[in-house]
Parts: sequence; structure tokens; C-alpha cells
Amino acid sequence: MAYAANAVTPDRQRAELVALSAPAVAFTLAMIAFPVVYTVWLGFHAFSSTGTQSFVGLGNYSKLVADNEFWHGLWVTLALYVLSLVLQLLLGTWLALLLFHAKRLPGVVRSLFISPFMMPPVVAGLMWLVILDPSIGAANYILQRMGLPPSDWLASPIWVIPTVAMIDTWQWAPYVALIILGGLQSLPPSVYEAAQIDGASAFKTFRRITLPLLLPTIVTATILRSVDLLRFFDIIYITTQGGPGNASNTLNIYGFRVGFEFFNIGYASALMLTLTAIVFGVVLAFNRLRGAVAW
Amino acid sequence: MTGTPLSESWINRLNIVQLVLAGFLIMVPTAWMVLSSFKPSFEVTAYPPTLVFSPTLENYVQLMRTTPFFSYAVNSLIVTLGSAGLGLLFGIPAAFAVSWTRISWPAILTLAARMAPGTLFLLPWYVMFRQVGMIGSYTALILSHAVITLPIVIWVLLPSFDNIPRSIFEAAQVDGCSITRILWKIALPLVGSGVAVAAILSFVFSWNYFLFALVLSNGDSKTLIAAAFNFVGEGSTQWGALMAAATLIALPPLILASIVQRWLVAGLTLGAVKG
Repeated sequence: MAYAANAVTPDRQRAELVALSAPAVAFTLAMIAFPVVYTVWLGFHAFSSTGTQSFVGLGNYSKLVADNEFWHGLWVTLALYVLSLVLQLLLGTWLALLLFHAKRLPGVVRSLFISPFMMPPVVAGLMWLVILDPSIGAANYILQRMGLPPSDWLASPIWVIPTVAMIDTWQWAPYVALIILGGLQSLPPSVYEAAQIDGASAFKTFRRITLPLLLPTIVTATILRSVDLLRFFDIIYITTQGGPGNASNTLNIYGFRVGFEFFNIGYASALMLTLTAIVFGVVLAFNRLRGAVAW
Repeated sequence: MTGTPLSESWINRLNIVQLVLAGFLIMVPTAWMVLSSFKPSFEVTAYPPTLVFSPTLENYVQLMRTTPFFSYAVNSLIVTLGSAGLGLLFGIPAAFAVSWTRISWPAILTLAARMAPGTLFLLPWYVMFRQVGMIGSYTALILSHAVITLPIVIWVLLPSFDNIPRSIFEAAQVDGCSITRILWKIALPLVGSGVAVAAILSFVFSWNYFLFALVLSNGDSKTLIAAAFNFVGEGSTQWGALMAAATLIALPPLILASIVQRWLVAGLTLGAVKG
């Protein structure tokens, strides 16, 4: 055949595919896979302030189980996670339904919705730091005008977690909304027509048809937010650095401070591997749930 | 959906009122930051807060005078463009190879970087980079930020490459085109918008990333984001200048994101959702 001489041989094709992916694979092995293996090794060692290291086996992990600060950090992480996630899913679904029924979505509105989560979290933290300042902030002024007592917001050990959750919700509920809007737009219109013919009420249509069909999308949004929320760092580090006291000391903040403020690299590695296991566990669990609610 | 036209128009009106309210809540904090940056410095901390004032550039002038804002911005640009470029350079051929072979483990491995907390990588990197004296170097910062950009590029481009009909590639192969040539001459021009989204998302997330520069940069290589954190602590915080800095730092990602706003959410979900 005339083509055969020109055609690429399978061997050559395989070599080319390897060459195409080689840089990315090499980079991933060097910057992601090897460092993680190295972290596991670090987690089995203790580092003294003079820089000498010694093998301690599971010592860092038994220390972790006995460390009140770890359990406190876990509690803070989970409280912040659940609170933020619930707020973002509820507000996100509400916003998505509003946008869906508005029919037309001008670019300006979409840009407005995108602006909070495209903004650097550090900038979001700084902006809210000024608004929520207990003595000069606009938030307390509004409370005062409404006849409500002022709040210490980020400076209050009780309110700091809800306040951080509120800031993150301001940033990411619009993102959840746009994901769910995508899900709404991909629903088959025929089921609505059927419901309409059957005379189902708007509420019943939502509860019995829209919501179940939307569940896979909602679970996807849940996974994407879980990954970010469980390793919460930026906004807390910029606004409270884990304070007041240790009231907002999430596991990621705690691990970072153990590693880079107290230079206890071994114990920090054990903390971070534990947190990573939690994140992966949650993602896997929700991934199975997504399989269960798929249609 | 069952109501009379009258009640339906009522529902529509109620809808719009709620949307306007939501838009207002989304916009107000950002607007407050921008407004504050143009206030005379004594009015930024005035209580009760003022809404009417004579705008001034005083805070911006003070920011430029008292901080090396411009050189931080150059650092941010070097790290951001370097890491976005590296992500595209490695990610485009890898995404094409994964789409071609359906062997997905390289792509899934990069997802680990999207899921694990940054500190998990930062601890070993810190030890490794310190051993070779690279703490504070642009190289260390660009390499670490490429861990953010590479999964974005791969996962944004994967669905785009998957969408190209295979028959186009097969025809080119019959003509004796190598796979590399097919990628550059045929596939890449077909996924132009995907590349644009990947490039812009890489830029935005690299520009916004805080944690790595916090540890891996030094006084000379500090990025804007890491420097902004230091502005808060330095003595009595200059809130006006801080708001000016925050406004300027937020500007590049917001402008870039609005260019690709239509495709942005689908890209951000790493292919899990079609927007």
C-alpha cells in the first residue's frame, strides 16, 4: 500500500506518547510524589533545635494522640468545615435557582458572581478585617444602627469560627451557585413538562424532581468545597493566625506553625499526613455517595 | 409553574428583588475596600464610617513611597508567569497524551496536589530547597507554584482534547503525521479557548497563592500576596494604604477572570461539571 511507508509505526507512536508526557510525569514525581514519601520519612523522625534528627518510629503519632492541641485543631477544622459547607450549599442552591429562573444571565452578573472567588483569599481577609474591626468597622456600625449590640467578630473566641465561615461563604457561595446552575441547565426539560401536566405544585416539583436530579451536582460541589475547607489556611492566617488564643487554630494552621514557627518538622509532618488522610477519606466517601445518587 | 399569569409575574418580581439583594451583598465588601482606598487616610478609620468624601490618591502615593510595592509586583509577575508557562509547557502535551492513550494515572497523580494541604508539600520542599540553598530563589517559587498550575492545565484541557473527533487524527496519521505534529498543528488550534481558560486560571491561582511564598520567598523575592500579609503587622497599620494595596493586588485576577467568565466555572471544577 502506498500509505504504509508513510504511516507511523506503533513503536514510534509509543515513544512519542512517552516523550509528550515525560516532562509532566517527571515534574510530578519530583515535586509531588517524592516529597510526600519524604514527608512520611520525616514523620518518623524528631528534629532537635540544633538540627540533629533521630528516628522515633511512631513516636510523633503517639504524641499526636495525646496532644490536646491536635484534638482541638481537629474540632475547629470540622466545625468550620460543616458550618461553611452547609451555609454555602444552602445559599448556593438558593442563588442558583434565582439565576436559573432569571432566564437571561448577562455577563456583568456572571462577572459579579465570579469576583469574590477569583479574588486572592488574602485580599478577602484584609477587606473583611477592616469591615469587621471591633472599634472602627462598618459591620458594628450597622449593628448599632439596627439597635443590636456590637460584636468582637474575629477577636471573639466564640464568634471567630462563625465569622470566618461567613467570610468564606461570601467568597465561595457564588461558586457553588454557578456549579449548581450548570446542573440545573443540564436537566431534561421533559420531566418538568410531565410534572406540569400532572398539576404538581412548584414546591413539590422542586422537592420531588429538581432536587433528586440535582443531587449528583450538589455532591460534586460538596467534594470541591470539602477539599478547600478541610485545609483552611489563608483567611485565618491573614486575620487571626489561629487566635484569639487558639480559637481558630485549624489543623492546617497548627501544622504550619509547628513546622515553620517551632521548626518541629517531624511532628508537623505527622500532623499534615493525618490531615491529608482525613481530606482523602472525606473525598472518597462523597465520591461513593455521588455514585449512589447518579442517574 | 401552575399559577395564573398574574401570580407568575409576581414570582418573577420577587425573584429579581432577591437577585438584586444577593448581588448587593456580594458587591458591598469589595466596593467598601475600593472606596476606602480613595478616602483621605484619617477618614478610613473614622467612626462612624463615612460614605461621602472627597476622593484622593493619597493612600496610593503613600503605599508606593513607604513600600517597594513595584518590586513585589515584579516578583509576583515573574513567579506567576513562570509557573503558568511551566504548567502549560508540561501540561499541554501531557493532557494530549492522556486523552490519546486513556491512561489517566499521570493526570490523577497531579490531582493529589489539588487535594492535599499545601503544608504537606511545603515541609519536605523546605528541607530540600534549604539543602541546596534555593530558599528565596525564583526557581523554588516557580517550581512550587507550578504544582498549582499543572493540574489546572491538564484537567481543563483533557475534556477539550477528548471532544475532538478521533477521525481527524486518524486521517492525519494516514498522511504520515507524527503525534507531536498532530498536537501542535491540528489539536492545539482546535482547543484555543480551552488553552485560554487554562492559561488564565493558572495565572489567577498562581497569583493568588499565599502559603508557598510565605516560606519559600525572602525579602528580595517576596510576592505581593506574601508582602500584603506583612503590611498588616508593621507597627501601626496604615489602613488606607493597606486597602490601596489590596485593591491593586485584586485587580489582575479580576480583570483576567472576567475575560473568560463564560467558561471559567467548568474549568474550575476540573472537568467534573460542564458549565
